[in-house]
Amino acid sequence: MVNAERHEYPSYDALLDDYIERGWTDGLPVVPPSPEKVEQFLEAAGLNSDEVLGAVPTREVVVTAEHAAINAVMAGCRPEYMPVVVAAIRAHLHEKANCHSTTGTLSGASQIVIVNGPIRRELEINCEGACFGPGWRANATIGRALRLVIRNVCRAIPGFLDRASFSSPLRYSFCFGENEEASDWAPLHVERGHSADQSTATVHSTMTFVPCVDFTSRGPEEVCESWLGMLRRYGVFTDRFLGDGQNLVLVVGPEHQRYFLEAGWTKDDIRQHLWPRFQNPGPGDRPVMLGSPEGLLIVAAGGPGMAETWFMFPHLAWAITEPIQSIHTETGRR
Amino acid sequence: MTERESVTLLGLDPTSGPLERRDDRTFSSRPESLDGAVLGLVANGLGQGETFLSAVYDELGSMAALNGAVSVLKSSVSVAPEPADWARLTSEASVAITGFGG
Repeated sequence: MVNAERHEYPSYDALLDDYIERGWTDGLPVVPPSPEKVEQFLEAAGLNSDEVLGAVPTREVVVTAEHAAINAVMAGCRPEYMPVVVAAIRAHLHEKANCHSTTGTLSGASQIVIVNGPIRRELEINCEGACFGPGWRANATIGRALRLVIRNVCRAIPGFLDRASFSSPLRYSFCFGENEEASDWAPLHVERGHSADQSTATVHSTMTFVPCVDFTSRGPEEVCESWLGMLRRYGVFTDRFLGDGQNLVLVVGPEHQRYFLEAGWTKDDIRQHLWPRFQNPGPGDRPVMLGSPEGLLIVAAGGPGMAETWFMFPHLAWAITEPIQSIHTETGRR
Repeated sequence: MTERESVTLLGLDPTSGPLERRDDRTFSSRPESLDGAVLGLVANGLGQGETFLSAVYDELGSMAALNGAVSVLKSSVSVAPEPADWARLTSEASVAITGFGG
């Protein structure tokens, strides 16, 4: 049973105009969140409407499964995406994911969802060519659902609690999967303590999202040197609240990944190579304030062609990984 | 009304409620003058925030007869002041100034 206030409209156009007028959308059209559809989404996640997914204490906000379902419907999700949306919301509402700061900041940080495990292929979450861009329903709508929850439920509304000077187009939606099949590298979620057959969503709040393009390097050490130049130029900052848990995410494309694979380097080999170099910044370098080598999260994704690795510099938050709860009961309810 | 217009579409409210507060909390009243005021200066630790707030104090002090300051430096940009700092601010300061950034 859903509890949200119901509004009646004579047409879709009337509904859309009213939702936009009330500030309930990101500016794009939405799918009408009818009670029947919302029930269907709750069923797909096996959740009761009043189940609490998390809270933002500074905003006196509690996020429920019903909130998640309504906004997931609006974002254009299919019901089977709902468990991923729920995991992403739980991850973002972890204390150290720092919702209040990362969604209110002047810098316009964005929330990036990285999906691991079998559900990527089941839901056709793109992990390969063009995975950061448009064209993939699961990628587009899961990321959008999280952002609509942040806007509508967590009250990060531009000019109100979202104080971004410019904001970012990444805030419409950003979700992709790791290409776990591209190599025998341990996937992100396995490195973070989950089994390979457990699907997960990792949410990383990102202030700066930039590529390191390097067509000339031909070995792992050389690629690492290119990365270090980028890392030292931007730096990674933290504060006392976050302690040593801050993360930096590197998304390695296949043209760079192959140099590591050919040389037999694992993700951990990369971390061990880079870590001492983080500790010795040169004149003019910005510090890379990660608490340990494990703070560097390495993800394989993207398509062939461009020799590049994408850097997701954090905004005062840990990247949090949450398991995705699959539903295998007859009723769907857990 | 045509048949098409009579179709009723139901849509649910996607928010956590109205943005306006529904309880009886209100903003504190603004003082007519800062003469005799004790200023709470709440810095979040970013950049030169403390220096800036100190300069704000000096500037205000040139316009009114201030009666001192309660300076608070938050432990992190990501958190609210500690309870002890809240207590100092609410018990000792008559006006508080802070900044936003990060």
